[in-house]
Amino acid sequence: MSARSLEINRRKVWILESGSGAPLLYLHGFADVHSVKETWLPFHEQLALSARVIAPAHPGCAQSDENPDIDVIEDVIFHYLEVLDALKLDSFDLVGHGVGGWIAAELAARHPEKIRKLVLIGASGLFVEGALIGDVFMNAQPEFGSSYASLREMLFSSANQANALEMFPDGKGELEDEVRRYQMLRLSSRIGFKPPYFYNRPLRNRLHRITSPALVIWGEKDGFVPRSHGEAYAELIPHSGALKVIAGVGHSAHVEKPEELAKLVSDFLAK
Amino acid sequence: MRPVQLFCWHFMAYPYLDKDFDKSGHSGWVTVPNKLWDNNKARGLYQEYIDQLALADDLGFDGMVLNEHHQNIYGLMPSPNLIASALTQCTSRGKIVILGNLLPLHLNPMRVAEEYAMLDQMSHGRLIAGFAPGGGPETFNYDVPSANTREKFWEAADLIVRSWTDDGPFTHEGRYFPLRYVNLWPKPLQQPFPPVWIPGSRSPSTMTEVAKRGYCYFLSSRSHGGETQRAQQEFAQVLEKHGDSYHPFRFGILMSTYVAETDQQARDECEEGVWYFLKNCLKGHLRKEGRQLTYGPGVPYIPAAAWREYMKGYTPGRKLLGDVENWEELEASQSIIVGSPETVARRIGALIEKAKVGNLLIQFQLGNMPDRLARKSMKLFADKVAPILRHDSLKQFTKEFPAMNVDQATPAVH
Repeated sequence: MSARSLEINRRKVWILESGSGAPLLYLHGFADVHSVKETWLPFHEQLALSARVIAPAHPGCAQSDENPDIDVIEDVIFHYLEVLDALKLDSFDLVGHGVGGWIAAELAARHPEKIRKLVLIGASGLFVEGALIGDVFMNAQPEFGSSYASLREMLFSSANQANALEMFPDGKGELEDEVRRYQMLRLSSRIGFKPPYFYNRPLRNRLHRITSPALVIWGEKDGFVPRSHGEAYAELIPHSGALKVIAGVGHSAHVEKPEELAKLVSDFLAK
Repeated sequence: MRPVQLFCWHFMAYPYLDKDFDKSGHSGWVTVPNKLWDNNKARGLYQEYIDQLALADDLGFDGMVLNEHHQNIYGLMPSPNLIASALTQCTSRGKIVILGNLLPLHLNPMRVAEEYAMLDQMSHGRLIAGFAPGGGPETFNYDVPSANTREKFWEAADLIVRSWTDDGPFTHEGRYFPLRYVNLWPKPLQQPFPPVWIPGSRSPSTMTEVAKRGYCYFLSSRSHGGETQRAQQEFAQVLEKHGDSYHPFRFGILMSTYVAETDQQARDECEEGVWYFLKNCLKGHLRKEGRQLTYGPGVPYIPAAAWREYMKGYTPGRKLLGDVENWEELEASQSIIVGSPETVARRIGALIEKAKVGNLLIQFQLGNMPDRLARKSMKLFADKVAPILRHDSLKQFTKEFPAMNVDQATPAVH
């Protein structure tokens, strides 16, 4: 694994990279590398067995510099266009989880020619009437001064399983994990707090531009982005198969069933 | 030189919750169901509260204090300017302090500039203009993204003051509030502009911004241990760094009190109101019970580096003011001072002495405290406590700040 920072437009972008083969750009969500953990989760390690996995930290996350001029998702998309230029990536597989999935869908709708294959996992970004994306910010405010049970409930299939408790412990966790969680919420607050809440209404009418094959994956019990969003993505992206639902997991399928998910993604990319 | 300035602060709580609210209600803030509002009981409530503020003016308090809250039972003033407007008509002497309008919640800061200018004219120059950024609950009230709240806040505050002082029309080319024609009618009466107060919770950046502009710093804490004294010292240092010097009227604090004939009588009379305030009004704000909306990673308004520093000293699940369980713990918090005139004068006097604070913003009506008791406490305070505090503080300030002349000692220093 290599870790490095690129200087892009006078700001530092922090990047992890592993494996060899076709380039796979991974965009992180909550409960993920860069947004909690300093390094790969088992899911990413398994992906790196068959691809060159490149995972930049979003602006302001982990060791990437913050950009106070980011107000809307469009600003993040332009940031990533510069990252792609700097990495000289003009044809690659794109995998995104949660907010990272939103960024991936937006990128693919704007630059379909750059994307070889697209994988969205529990991606926010769409407006689906009557199916609100959950309030991760209010749930990130502790109950009884120290409990993050309702946040875990939102991001995992249940609040008290070990992997959820490990990533979002009650009380005070590892200091740097705490800071990374905070940074992810701070970036999210810029682009996802003010209504539109983690979505961009015009995106729905742009998805038809995507030309690559796409795989849309959802945790059966996703408590953050309702499953109907996954159904909408699968329906609106022209070359997407049916929504693939992973049984028994919540929003963080990559944490809860890393092997099953990694195999699903790797098999799809290898096809 | 002038003595400590004593202000009467009213929060205008919703006082009609059932006795079991703390058991059945998850929070008093943001999500507290508005079906609990009872028109049969609440009719006339605003008049009762406004009359208490008018009484403060009659009793010779130096001013009345209002502030802005939304969607809670702690403070029923989504628009403090409306109450201030009423006060311009039923009071004649005291300052009208609005601490403050929550600028990031306003679509256009000019609305605040205009209403404050109107209030200054309507009150014959009695307005003290507070600007506040809002905190955690307000983020959720109006869906204000946290990450750039502070920048938005200072841009709005500076635009408002510029609209009061610069000739219009001028163009404001701001990041958040660009406006082509800024041309304020009416202008405020006080020249060059009304005194500006800014609340903060000891963050060095807020103190610095306040010092740079020559405003008054108000410590937004309800408890007064060593931190209050430290805040005063820190602010004094920041002022020095900016070529300014501290005096007591650059600094303000909030406290609550209840005064009765004896210590025991005071406790007996205010007990219900005090505990209603602590357990109901603070739930969701300064209690760990329920969901704590005021501080936390879900309202990420400070930079990550500042959050790291904050987390280093953070103890999860620590007791907040509303978590106190008995009178002894409450006394130790130095937040609500309850007792006979002698006790209250002694305890508040000690606080002024240590914190060298010239603006004391005092809450009398707490929770569901009946009108009769709130008024009695205010009168006793005005008759028996205020004269002692004024006498002692005048002596102290004269001795400790000999270089300060009276003109500079008004709260309006620019």
